[in-house]
Amino acid sequence: MQALMQQVVSGIASGGIFASLALALVLIYNAMGLVNFAQGELAMFATFIAFSLVDHGLSYWIAFPLTLVIAFLGGILIQRIVIRPVERAPVLTLVIITLGLATLVNGAAGFLWGYIPRPFSSPFPVSTINVGGVLTSLQDLGVIGVTGAVLVLIYILLQRTTLGLTMRAAAHHPEASRLLGVRVSWMLALGWGLASAVGAVSGIMVAPVLLLEPNMMQTIIIYAFAAAVLGGIESPLGAVVGGLIVGVTVNLAGAYLPFVGGDLRLAVALAIIIGVLVLKPNGIFGRPSVRRV
Amino acid sequence: MTNLLELDGVHAGYGPTSVLHGITLFVPDGAIVSLLGANGAGKTTTLRAITAGVHWSGDIRFSGRSLRRMSTENIVRSGIAHVPEGRGICTELTVDENLKLGAHLRGGGAEVRRDYDRVFEYFPVLRERRKLSASTLSGGEQQMLAVARALLMKPRLMLLDEPSLGLAPLIVRAIFDIIRTINQDDRVAILLVEQNARLALEMSSHAYVLEVGRVAVEGPSADLKGNESVRRSYLGY
Repeated sequence: MQALMQQVVSGIASGGIFASLALALVLIYNAMGLVNFAQGELAMFATFIAFSLVDHGLSYWIAFPLTLVIAFLGGILIQRIVIRPVERAPVLTLVIITLGLATLVNGAAGFLWGYIPRPFSSPFPVSTINVGGVLTSLQDLGVIGVTGAVLVLIYILLQRTTLGLTMRAAAHHPEASRLLGVRVSWMLALGWGLASAVGAVSGIMVAPVLLLEPNMMQTIIIYAFAAAVLGGIESPLGAVVGGLIVGVTVNLAGAYLPFVGGDLRLAVALAIIIGVLVLKPNGIFGRPSVRRV
Repeated sequence: MTNLLELDGVHAGYGPTSVLHGITLFVPDGAIVSLLGANGAGKTTTLRAITAGVHWSGDIRFSGRSLRRMSTENIVRSGIAHVPEGRGICTELTVDENLKLGAHLRGGGAEVRRDYDRVFEYFPVLRERRKLSASTLSGGEQQMLAVARALLMKPRLMLLDEPSLGLAPLIVRAIFDIIRTINQDDRVAILLVEQNARLALEMSSHAYVLEVGRVAVEGPSADLKGNESVRRSYLGY
């Protein structure tokens, strides 16, 4: 039982990481009706920025928020320069553009920092503490705390502030929002900034576990896709719940299903994606889209 | 009375298809003006031109200032509330959030709170449904929400695109009464597009009848109502 609880806790920790990246995917999906395939690469790039800042002597807890600010501004910049000129292009064009962006960012990171995996120090001690009879690592608790705090902040921003309200309106109803005086294009840019900052959180949190290198996020993004699809690709809350479910499921499957082990965890995530798409294409929180014809 | 809105030889269209062929039209400050005509005459396109929803040439002036090359957002911010065809309700949001969107540029002062109270006094049903998704509202309630939201924008001019469309006569009557009240109490000028010519002529002081992108007839609403040949040939009643 204790071992099970330990697996659940570390599943929640990885779930928080998946949830952050999944939330980034959902924010962009809502803003432009498609998944940003470059989201993971942007998160990786931001993590390298955090790495450089720490490397130059900044303390982790200054480098972390500073990186989020840089990622936020970077996201806005990308939307303004790369996405905005092709806003009205067909979906396939946009897909190709985000794929191109992913390749570009990946290559740029390799060019700047090289492909040798680097250890990324964690701010949390490696020791374990006993929480109600369950031995949990402080690393896991720290990740849960940070991702949890970020997700709550995003929730408050989107659901409780006027800015969040106009962002949601701009994403779902651009024409109607414009007629209410909402600066839709800037709201979409803000969405990109926010997504890029939340994505950066997942990169920085996962780097100590995985070692930092340009391809670091390529498996994480699959888990994030699984989380977003499971939760309902349009639902921010769904992304978070989906992330936690995927994190715990994958962790338990890895621990208790002998044939899964450490190697087939990704396959579990892919199975979740396929399962959801076949059985409940709108996910847990997604609404079926109804169109009048 | 000075003109709040002036359209001067406005041409507009969608891509190569031109819809308006030189519309000249005035809305005096504080007046209700109706824009009538058959389907496809260009009524909706006229409204869309005013808020930059369609490319146009000629000139459109609001309170003396040309709206040329202004973005929809800035035109709206300068004091024009446009309730579009289909009402433009954000169905993903709650009733309350829709209303908040209307007032989002005004902060949260005492004046805004008073306007909320008035809106709920006009449309009590909206208060009851505050927390519900706007998608659960009936057509009439959505129209009420659209008018309420426009009122919360505190505009000087409201553009209303067929507020009666698809609604039961009793509800249409209620909504038009409120529109008249808004016009009188707040001195909001209204440009009203309507299929229901009889109702629109009753409401408005002046009317324009469009026919395939041109103003076919215009004049004081009372004259148009009394002119049998105009009524027969253009208004169909």
